[in-house]
Order: sequence, then structure tokens, then C-alpha cells
Amino acid sequence: MFDGLIAFGHSIWSFCDPLSLGLILLSSLVGVIIGALPGLTATMGVALMTTLTIKMPSNQALLVLICTYVGAIYGGSRSAILLNIPGTPASAASCLDGHALAKQGHAGRAMGIATSGSVLGTLIGMFFLALFTPILGNLALKFGSYEFFWLALFGVIIAGTLTGNDPLKGWMAGLIGIFTATIGQEAIYAHDRFTFGSRDLAGGLQLVPALVGAFGFAELLMAVRERPAPVKINPFDSVIPKLRDVMQYWRTILRSGVIGTFIGILPGVGEDVAAWSSYAAAKRASKEPETFGKGSIDGLMAAETGDNACVPGAVIPVLTLAIPGSAPAAVLMAAMLIHGIRPGPMIMIENPTFVYDVVAMMMFATIGILIYGLTLTKVLIKVLMVPKPIILPIIFVLCVVGSYAISQRLFDVWVMMGFGVLGYALRRMHYPVAPLVLGMVLGDLMEKGFRRGLVLSDGDLMPFFTRPISAVLWITIVLVVMLKLPAVNRRLGRRTRPATPRVSSR
Amino acid sequence: MPAEIYPSSPRRDLVGGLLWTALGCVISVLSWQMDRMTQQGATLHTAPGLWPGIVGVLLAALGGVLMLRSWHRARRIGWDLAETDDTDYASLSSFALAAGMFFVYALLLVGRGLPFWLGTALFVTTFVFLFHYAMRKTAGKVARGFAVALACGGLTALIVTLLFEQLFYVRLP
Repeated sequence: MFDGLIAFGHSIWSFCDPLSLGLILLSSLVGVIIGALPGLTATMGVALMTTLTIKMPSNQALLVLICTYVGAIYGGSRSAILLNIPGTPASAASCLDGHALAKQGHAGRAMGIATSGSVLGTLIGMFFLALFTPILGNLALKFGSYEFFWLALFGVIIAGTLTGNDPLKGWMAGLIGIFTATIGQEAIYAHDRFTFGSRDLAGGLQLVPALVGAFGFAELLMAVRERPAPVKINPFDSVIPKLRDVMQYWRTILRSGVIGTFIGILPGVGEDVAAWSSYAAAKRASKEPETFGKGSIDGLMAAETGDNACVPGAVIPVLTLAIPGSAPAAVLMAAMLIHGIRPGPMIMIENPTFVYDVVAMMMFATIGILIYGLTLTKVLIKVLMVPKPIILPIIFVLCVVGSYAISQRLFDVWVMMGFGVLGYALRRMHYPVAPLVLGMVLGDLMEKGFRRGLVLSDGDLMPFFTRPISAVLWITIVLVVMLKLPAVNRRLGRRTRPATPRVSSR
Repeated sequence: MPAEIYPSSPRRDLVGGLLWTALGCVISVLSWQMDRMTQQGATLHTAPGLWPGIVGVLLAALGGVLMLRSWHRARRIGWDLAETDDTDYASLSSFALAAGMFFVYALLLVGRGLPFWLGTALFVTTFVFLFHYAMRKTAGKVARGFAVALACGGLTALIVTLLFEQLFYVRLP
């Protein structure tokens, strides 16, 4: 306990130099702006910043990425409240009550609630990050190849199940991601797979250009496909959070913080599910559920606390199991690997202070969003007014240069373009992209677990099913899949779709 | 019946299912044809094609399920019924122009002999000017629009080049 606190104190002190503090302020600002601009997401922001920080020392690079991540998830609330357009998918739930409050002339109060919810949500998540990571890290030491295989599969299945409207399409997107991870030389015999004689492909597809494509370029294509909405800002009052709002809704804050963190721990699920789940739980617990969607402070507080608590939560499985809890966390994990940090069960043995470094980074990111939450309103409104045709080509230049910068080869730019087109096509066909990313990130771990497991058992599949942790994991996977089968749902009398969707012929 | 209606129509899902099944089959066949490395002592469970083969079979199977589901749905609601899409789409020509410019920049202007800063300045200036042209023309401020586009292009090229070359020591294409 005290060792942990001392290590945390050391970590905080290690970032108290002018350069690190400057980086915290700059990257939090970049994160908030990226999050606030509709069409640019946290994943895209973290992916682009990964390419910009490639030459930095690892701790400073990760500090920048975590501040960008936390800032972007918070920044999304600004456009949700002011424009009724979620800056990131995580802020979609905040539109309902945030914009309703803005229309009633309380945009400033709504932004204050978003700031206090986000700050407290990140702090709650940070507490659980410090508490759970060592415990989960010790548990993960019991994991072998069999367990890692099931855990990686669980990640892809759960991401496919929860991140879109259609689990079948989610699972297929995950499989496509797993397939892309098989391209290049395999691990045992260095045999080229699906390379068609290309030397560039023999090294496999680099994760960061693929992620920049699937999230950056694909989102740019989506943005140019849509007509820009006219920007109309409602007048707003003071953005300073009111203590009364925090004290009155402490139960909502605690509940949403716990829900957000737990959803963050689930592999690949992410902040949008955390926000909606917290919102739904707050509505169920509220004495005035009829006010939700009409400017409920409870609802806005729940959504903002939930999505920001999810950020530290999503980092817990990255550190302990090398399994990302969300799409931006997947990019963060790729960045850790690029910087020579090996997340996973051994991290508490090989590099125990790193966990407390990450907790300290979260704390500084929280301070960053608090500062900008209180001061940045007018500047951010000016940024929101910048026309899309100016922002889009600049972001695209960064996508191209960022993809090129990692290995300085044009092939990575083509990979970025290819994954951009794939990501765009999947979005247009209503396939979720998060499982694709999880598949790409976890595909290698899954294959290694599968093949090593088979080698250890001399081809016998039984240990995959009979070892205790493996058994828990595969039974959970089967249950998750079964509960999504229409026949099972009919038997349980559950409805999986809204009863009366509006329809069109196309 | 309304609970059967999804964001994409059964016809779209059928096409998607067909594509994924075909891809899954191709992956499975290529995995089957892969060298099994028996000369190096590999067995069935260490053969390089085993894992991608399983992935290919699963993809083909799920593609088949998607096709079957779309066919079942089509029998009840018809092939083209889907949820209403509220998105306000831009014209296809403006989308094609923007996407085309992205591709021209990434595949032709970068790394083909043209200095990076020049290619970037050209791309950003042209993009900003073209996509603001209608608005500027209506306001009678085309020259001002060009000046703004030129400033955006020049500044982007300058800042990105300096940032990457001087600060991050990246040799730009």
C-alpha cells in the first residue's frame, strides 16, 4: 500500500519539469480540440499523436498520448452541448440533456457539469486503475497460452457484440481484423503468408498506419460524404461548475464512475457504451426519469462521468493483459510497443513503477481538462466555427506524414489509404470498426496462444477447455454468443431491436 | 415485423455476405495451399496455414449466415426495406472530388520527386479553394477565397515540414 503511494509520489515528481508540464498543457489542448471537432475522434487523435511522438522518450510520449486521449473524450461534450453534434461517439449520450440545457439558456452550466463529471469520472477510474492493476497483474501471471487465446477471442467477441447494432457484423469485422494480423511472416517458421512476393508485406502490416487509416482517413471520408451542418451557438452562462451540482448528484457520480471503469475493463467496448450504460443506470435510479432527454443534470452528469471513467478503466487490461479496453486504448498499446514497453502480465514484475507513471499521467491529464474546461470556452467556439474544408486537408496531410514517419516508407501510406477505404466501406455497410481494430491488435496474441497451446499439448485440444480459467472464459464466450442468437432470444422472450424503427426503401 | 428492419436492407446484407464468403473461401484455399513445412518437422498443428485457414472458414461461415439471414428477412419485409437514414449527404460529385484529391496527394504528389512542401501546399490550397469556391462566388469574394486558401496551404506546408524535419528528424518523402 505505502510502496504504491511512494511510487505514485515519485511518478508525479518525475513529470514536474517544465517540458513535461508544457507537454501536458499542449496535448490536453490538442485532445480537447480534436474531441470537440465533429468527425475527429479520440482514436484518430491518439493515432495521429503516436506518429508525432515517435522520437520522444517513452514516458513523455505516453504522457502526450494519455493527455490527448482524456482531453478528446472530454472535448466531445463541448460540441454535444453547443451544437447538438457529438464531437466523439462517446459524447452522443451527452447531446440529449446537454443540448436541451443549452436551448434553455444553460449551456454554461451544462459545460460546467460536463467538466465536473469528466474530472471526477477520470479520478474514480484512476483510483481503480491504481487499485486493480497490481491485483489483475498478479492474477494474469497464472495465464498460459490457452487462457490468452480465449481472452483475446473474448475481447474480439465482446467488442463485436457491444459496439454496433448487429453482433454478427461485429464478429465478422473482428475476423477481418484477425485475418489482417496473419499477413506477413509467421512466428514459428518465418514462412511468408499472403505476401504474394512483396517484401514490404513480409514484415506484416504495421499497426499504426492501419489504425490511422481505419480511424483517421475513413472518418475524413465520412466527413466529406456528409454536408456540414450550419454552426449555431446558443448564448451561454458561466462555465464554472457549481458545488451544489456535484454534491447533489454524488450518487450518480459514484455509480457512473464504477460503471464506466468496469465497461472500460471489458476488452474493446469503449467510452460510448460506458456513457450510454451510465446514462441508462442513472435514469433507472432517478426519481424524475421523465426529465431525462429534456435537460436533466443527472443524465448529463452520468454520461460525462461514465465516458471519462472508462478511459483509465480501458488502460487496466492494456497494462495487465496486453488487451485493450477500447479502440483508443488499442492505439495506446501499439504506441507502448513502439516505445519498447511490453504491457502484459509481466509488467508488475519487470516494470512495476510504470503502472504508477500511467496513474500519474491520468492525474495530469485530469488537471489539463479541468484547466481547459474552465478557461477555453470562447477559443473552442472559434475553433468550432472553422469550416470543414480547411480542417480536413490539414488532418489528411497529418495522416499521410504520420503513417510515413514511423518507418519512413511509402508502403505505410498505401496501407493507411487501404485501411481508410476498408474502414469507410465497413461504416457505410453498418459494420462496427472497433472489433476490426481489436482483431488486428489481438490476432497475433490469439494465434500464438492457439499454436503454442497445441504444441504444448501435442495437438490435444482438451486443455483449451478443461483448465479452470480457460473453462470460465470459453463458457462466457459461448453464453455471450448464445444470448445474441435470435432463436435463444425468442425463447427468452427478449426483443433485440426497437419496436418501430422508421423505414425507407433502399 | 418492424423488429426485422435494420439500418441496412436485406439486399445490401446479401451482397456483403457474398463478399465475405468469397473472401473467406479465398483465404481458406490459399491457407490450404501454403507450404506445411514438414521438411522442418512441422505437424498439422504447427503448419503455417492452420490458423489463417480456420479464420477463413469462420469468415466464410459467418458470411453464409449473413446471406441466409438476409434471405429470411427479405421473405418477410422485401429486399429493399431499411431504417430511414437521417444523414444529410453531400453530392456524390463533391465526395468523389474530395476523395480523388486525397488519393492524388497520397499516391502521386508525395514521394514522386516533387518536394514534400510543394506537394502539400498545392494540395491544401486547391482543396480549400475548390470547396469554398461556391460560397465565395456567391459573396463575390473569389480573390479573397484564393488568398485564404493560399495562406492555409503555405502555412500547413511550412509548419508540417518544420515540425517533422527539424523537431522529429523525419526525412520527409
